[in-house]
Amino acid sequence: MAAARPGGDHRSVNDKLEELRAKRARALEGGGPERIAQQHARGKLTARERLALLLDDNSFQEMGALATHEETDFGLADQRFPGDGVVAGFGKINGRRVAAFAQDFTVLGGSFSRVQSNKISRIQDLALESGVPLIGLNDSGGARIQEGVASLAAYGEVFVRNVLSSGVIPQISLILGPCAGGAVYSPALTDFVIMARGTSSMFLTGPDVIEAVTGETVTIEELGGSEVHEARSGVAHLVAEDEREALELLKRLLGYLPQNNNEDPPQVVPYDPADRMDEALNSIVPEDESEAYDVRDVIGRVFDRDSFFEIHPAYAPNVVVGFARLDGFSVGIVASQPSVMAGVLDIDASDKVARFIRICDVYNIPIVTFVDCPGFLPGLDQEFQGIIRHGAKIIYAYCEATVPKISIVTRKAMGGAYVAMSSRQMRTDVAFAWPGAQIAVMGADAAVRILYGRLLRSADDPAAAAAEHVRHYREMFFNPYRAADVGQIDEVIEPRETRPRLIRTLELLRTKVQQNPPRKHGLFPV
Amino acid sequence: MDDLGFGLWVTFVGMGLVFGLLVALWLLLSLALRFEARGPGAADERRATDEARLATGAAVAPAPERIAIRPTDGGPPPEPALVAAIGVAVALHAESRRLQAAPAMRSYWPGSLLFASRWVSAGRTRQSQSWHRRPR
Repeated sequence: MAAARPGGDHRSVNDKLEELRAKRARALEGGGPERIAQQHARGKLTARERLALLLDDNSFQEMGALATHEETDFGLADQRFPGDGVVAGFGKINGRRVAAFAQDFTVLGGSFSRVQSNKISRIQDLALESGVPLIGLNDSGGARIQEGVASLAAYGEVFVRNVLSSGVIPQISLILGPCAGGAVYSPALTDFVIMARGTSSMFLTGPDVIEAVTGETVTIEELGGSEVHEARSGVAHLVAEDEREALELLKRLLGYLPQNNNEDPPQVVPYDPADRMDEALNSIVPEDESEAYDVRDVIGRVFDRDSFFEIHPAYAPNVVVGFARLDGFSVGIVASQPSVMAGVLDIDASDKVARFIRICDVYNIPIVTFVDCPGFLPGLDQEFQGIIRHGAKIIYAYCEATVPKISIVTRKAMGGAYVAMSSRQMRTDVAFAWPGAQIAVMGADAAVRILYGRLLRSADDPAAAAAEHVRHYREMFFNPYRAADVGQIDEVIEPRETRPRLIRTLELLRTKVQQNPPRKHGLFPV
Repeated sequence: MDDLGFGLWVTFVGMGLVFGLLVALWLLLSLALRFEARGPGAADERRATDEARLATGAAVAPAPERIAIRPTDGGPPPEPALVAAIGVAVALHAESRRLQAAPAMRSYWPGSLLFASRWVSAGRTRQSQSWHRRPR
């Protein structure tokens, strides 16, 4: 038996192993049974419980489980917990490698520290180098005030990695508790934010600060609850009824995304016939053009059965965006929603569409656009808030995107909205139109007023003359054939043919490669 | 004159060897074809395909109206409601797996190069690194 060196560790190997095991057991306890009970009482799961639900069985490899902070001020010397309030590592979701971290609210309120930052940054680096998605489960009271500026710098370390990973690996944030102050910017920099109703909130400045500064009284839920970010701010892409559903949504969302920007999303074994033609599509658009229909019905009948996964369902509902499958392949859908505000494009809709197009573009997901849009929303409010700048985002995003792009004009495609919504000039690969498509610079009544205003004023019967001109204008432009004549529409198709047409077109375009001019980056009209 | 005779003789022997080898090769090929013909012929292949189709048809033929479930341990048969619930649970699980693109439902493994052609791989590389310093 070798003699222990003077001054060295005199304990046996077994003692050292016991120490390690004890530390590991301590790390598994998080903030202790009492804090865990409090967490459960709030209707929330612990960080480890969440990761257990999220990841495949026995797939989690933790990193930094025993790391603790070195602070001694403000009583922190007595509050050292292995892991320091975050569980981080690698695992698998449905067999796919992911990096994941979960903030542990039971440890010092999940407050963000230097150790947390180091652990998260470490898996961010490894995820980026390995080309695997990054999942963040956020549940933190904010920065660890006791650490001072170091805690703020710690945020910066995570932000910069979020930005460098943007468009390279999918980054998905789940907000499962409070997320306040500077902490909100990390989820905001990721690709998708999923919130849990009732238990999660996001805000920059809390109700107390708002009351002190502006005198406004507001609750946390009113300020940054899931309803606010789901429908008004658009910060949350999806809202689940509870944490378990949020984790299920994440798994489903991941099923449409690739591991990184160089790979393709997973293809599901086709389960819906590629040549299926739905007769109901031929009559889905009402004869009366002022009558609305739900574009989700169209999507449901065209794409693989039950495969539509809507993003931002409550935000800017006048457009619908989401993922679906076509013959098992992942596709992105952008669609005007005629049943809400007639499907016009406003500021929020423009932001929603532009962001979604860019997500599809970076992750090699083809884009299918359904157009039934009477134009951009007119009005002082929209103009003052910059509808020009926001509308330009759609044009920029479509033009910049190099993935396969297919458009289908189902009914109205008017003016600037026609150009913006995936017209041929937006580098759309194939443009289809249904027989009822109306592609024109503007509506018939307005066009006749401009073109024949003087003649109508001097006519014996202005109403009859206007009606005649309107009829003529409609005959000229309110069909897809004029646009097809000038090459703006590649093919006028029966609505029921849409699915097989899309599948065959995407089969051709699956190997499409297009390059943009070399540049540092474009100036997106933010 | 002797030279001419020798020349003719050599020509005869050379040509004879060449033609002899050609005849031997022809015989060899004929023999090989004869053996080949003893394998499954076109008619056999058709028959095999028909049988396979029939077998497939049998596999997807509609199930009998009532399926008797007998426990292997000889106990009482399970409640029909339980069997139905298990059936629904299995179907829902399969649907959930499909929605999440789980391994059993995937056509290929994410990250594999089975689908991405070299054209696509090279194109994506160019998309990411579209700028190259001009060589001096």
